[in-house]
Amino acid sequence: MTRYLIRRTIGTIIVLWAVATLVFFMLRIVPGDPIGAMLFDAGDAAAVEALRHKLGLDAPVYVQYVKWFWLLFQGDFGNSIYGSNIPVSQAIAEALPRTLSLASLGFIIALLIAVPAGLIAATRRNSMIDNVVSFGAFLGLSMPEFWLGILLIIVFAAGLKWLPAIGYAPLSDGLWPWLSHLILPAIAVGTTFSAIIARNIRSGMLEVLQTDYIRVARAKGLTKSALILRHAFPNALIPVITVVGIAFALLMAGAVVVENVFAIKGLGRLLIQSILNRDYPMVQGAVLVVSAIFVLSNLLVDLLYTVIDPRIRYDS
Amino acid sequence: MTTKRKNLSDVGQARVRAELADAYDFDPRDPLFGLSTTALSGSRLERRTVLRLLAAAGMLTAGHVIGAAHPARAQAKAGGTLTCGWAGVGEITTLDPAQINQVLQFQISSNVLSGLTHISADLIAQGDLAESWKVSDDGTEYTFKLREGVTFHNGDKFTADDVVFTYQRSSDPQKSIHSAVLANVAGVEKVDDYTVHFKLKAPQASFLPKVLERSSGRAMTIVSRGALEKMGESDYGLMPVGTGPFKVTAHQLGQTVTLERNPDYYDKERPKLDKVVIQPIIDAEPLAAAIEAGDIQLIGGNPIAPELIDRFASNPDLVVDETPGPTFQALWINPWHEHMKVTDFNKPLDQLMSEKGFKARLAIAKAIDRDAYIKQAQFGRGTPGFGTVNPAQGHYFDPGLAQTSAQTFDLEKARQLLADAGYPGGEGFPKLRLLTTPANRRETQVVANQLKQNLNIDAEIETKDFPVLIEDFDSMNWDLVRLGSGGDYDPDDALVDWMQTTSKFNGRKRDQAKYSFGFFSDKEVDQLISDQSATADVDKRRELVMKANKITSDKVASAFLFHQPDILVHHKNVSFPKESRIPGLVDLDRVTVS
Repeated sequence: MTRYLIRRTIGTIIVLWAVATLVFFMLRIVPGDPIGAMLFDAGDAAAVEALRHKLGLDAPVYVQYVKWFWLLFQGDFGNSIYGSNIPVSQAIAEALPRTLSLASLGFIIALLIAVPAGLIAATRRNSMIDNVVSFGAFLGLSMPEFWLGILLIIVFAAGLKWLPAIGYAPLSDGLWPWLSHLILPAIAVGTTFSAIIARNIRSGMLEVLQTDYIRVARAKGLTKSALILRHAFPNALIPVITVVGIAFALLMAGAVVVENVFAIKGLGRLLIQSILNRDYPMVQGAVLVVSAIFVLSNLLVDLLYTVIDPRIRYDS
Repeated sequence: MTTKRKNLSDVGQARVRAELADAYDFDPRDPLFGLSTTALSGSRLERRTVLRLLAAAGMLTAGHVIGAAHPARAQAKAGGTLTCGWAGVGEITTLDPAQINQVLQFQISSNVLSGLTHISADLIAQGDLAESWKVSDDGTEYTFKLREGVTFHNGDKFTADDVVFTYQRSSDPQKSIHSAVLANVAGVEKVDDYTVHFKLKAPQASFLPKVLERSSGRAMTIVSRGALEKMGESDYGLMPVGTGPFKVTAHQLGQTVTLERNPDYYDKERPKLDKVVIQPIIDAEPLAAAIEAGDIQLIGGNPIAPELIDRFASNPDLVVDETPGPTFQALWINPWHEHMKVTDFNKPLDQLMSEKGFKARLAIAKAIDRDAYIKQAQFGRGTPGFGTVNPAQGHYFDPGLAQTSAQTFDLEKARQLLADAGYPGGEGFPKLRLLTTPANRRETQVVANQLKQNLNIDAEIETKDFPVLIEDFDSMNWDLVRLGSGGDYDPDDALVDWMQTTSKFNGRKRDQAKYSFGFFSDKEVDQLISDQSATADVDKRRELVMKANKITSDKVASAFLFHQPDILVHHKNVSFPKESRIPGLVDLDRVTVS
């Protein structure tokens, strides 16, 4: 296991380096000059050159690359080159808790909907309830998040006035302010993912329920709940975990659309905003964090396999 | 109580009558309208002088006087919190005047930082930190008497040193992006703690309302040296320390900006509100839902999407307050494009009219039905545009241009011009690339449709993110572009910035070996614009501005489209006094909530 972990860690570092390098050079190929956009209004060639020099953008690209990596090794993501030039790490540190809150709550909502729905649909195959769940999952999948988000705002914020329409309150403001701002966006992101997960649980369960050992267990006279929850469900989980892992990483990487609708400045919006501003260090930093989240959640999923299915062992 | 109110309104009416009488009390043959040169200096007599000038121009209405003759308004309840949404923006990147590059940023900074002057709702410069001033006879020397007893939010005293420090910081291109604004300033000197002296290289009519203005001017918006040194540039950019009516107490980038009442503001009557919370909201629908739900009570920031305005206007809880905006929007036509080529705009108009390229340009400009465009693309809100000078500039705006401009909509003539240029029925005219931003795609489509319908010219829309669009625009890499300007408070913003050969937006990144100018260049216009800049006399300046504006319109410097109105939307329980209703700004110091 230790050897496996070391191997994966080295792999992770290589992947992150490759991503960082690729993003660094791709950004500089993309048309659009950050200084030109920022100083559109200034009309002073001297100011443009001065700022370019101050931000180190007049140096050759390879020099910028080496400099960026040198700072990165010291744990410094650099400073934003747009507006107030705040440290990239500060922007990420501010956005991360918001995204983490939204993703976790959305994830919990997705599981709360998906697990019972998937199990019921699988065990009552072709029944009315299966059709309802399948239809609901289909609807959830095809419904655009922003549309659902706006619908939720119109009903629960503008209409019933139960919850705030937009914004975010940190947990330090209290549990209810935090939760009340997150419920609607979490439902919006959670619904889409619950549909994906429910469909996966249903198909996984159907497959397992037709295996011989389930038939044996049933012949033994096990109760239906023990049969499903203890014998069938864990075995159906392997493909589900893979999907769930990717889903969580996707949520973390930014539910950009939902963040925009609910005016929450999370990682996704930070990334989009900085791409639009051509804020190179900010994009580089944010992409690095997002890829790290992806790689780590993949690693976590691989480790979870061994917990769920003891037959799976790395290092043998 | 009733009698008291009646008395107040009697006093008000008497004041209106007196002010009107005084304004018209001059000999029409007197070139100075009974004003002395000192009346044009100082700030105490500002109001009287302005009214007099308006009266002399035949533009004074009772409305101008009544606005300020409402002593009852000032009695409104103080205190409370106002929550605002800032439209169409993801984050308030900076509030440091040296870095501010968007109107929606200085809308906020104007509530936090002061300048020497601040424009009124009529766009006239009035004293802010400057208590009064004197102008030398040749118009190149200004001496300002500063307000005493003003303190920064951090407790530091405001003195002439801060003016000098701000000047030094802003004129350094390493530290400020607005150094060019101060190009005409030869030097700033401290005379004593509360007197400063500005020396200009040449007289500049826009010196008070543009260079020294606290919001749009930005170059001389007074910053705190102590705070800058203590906080560093980037923290200062998020939470600037100034002498304004509100102080920034929190800034969660991309989430909220929190302002709180400055208890030590120099005017003890202001601000009324205890607290202001500003949330950037990028999407239109959530913004609408937020104000309808009451989460926010006022919308600032970028112009509100036109499709939402009617919906707001029909909502009994909301107030939609529309006023002419300091903007112009245009369709730019590349004069270096083979089929629309004009390489010398200096020729007289009738000579230009014989050139094929010019005919094609004029055909495009004349084929745009501005009224239909405003109806379809802007839901009926806006003023047809024929030049860069906008209706918010009141005195300088030429409403007659809509009839006299060569660009006036005339379908028959437009088609005839295109036929004369060699493309009858649009035949043989190449497909054009029309650049715009993703946000402007829908309204640009209306322009493209008109060109297709009216002239049978194909304009293919290409959307580009703003940084890319600007680079293409600056390097003249386009056939047509949909682009305009906001926050133009002075004719200089409209003319000096756009219409001179050396204007900052006039193809500054073009290949100079290939193109001798950017999108327009006319020697007479260059001269008129320089002259109007240096003319302090309002009426003489007006003449020069209108003349320059007319030539740029006739010679199709661009096909002008429309002037966007400034629309402020807020809840009924928010009182936004007329006095603070400066187009394009959201000054909250007199605003109250109930």
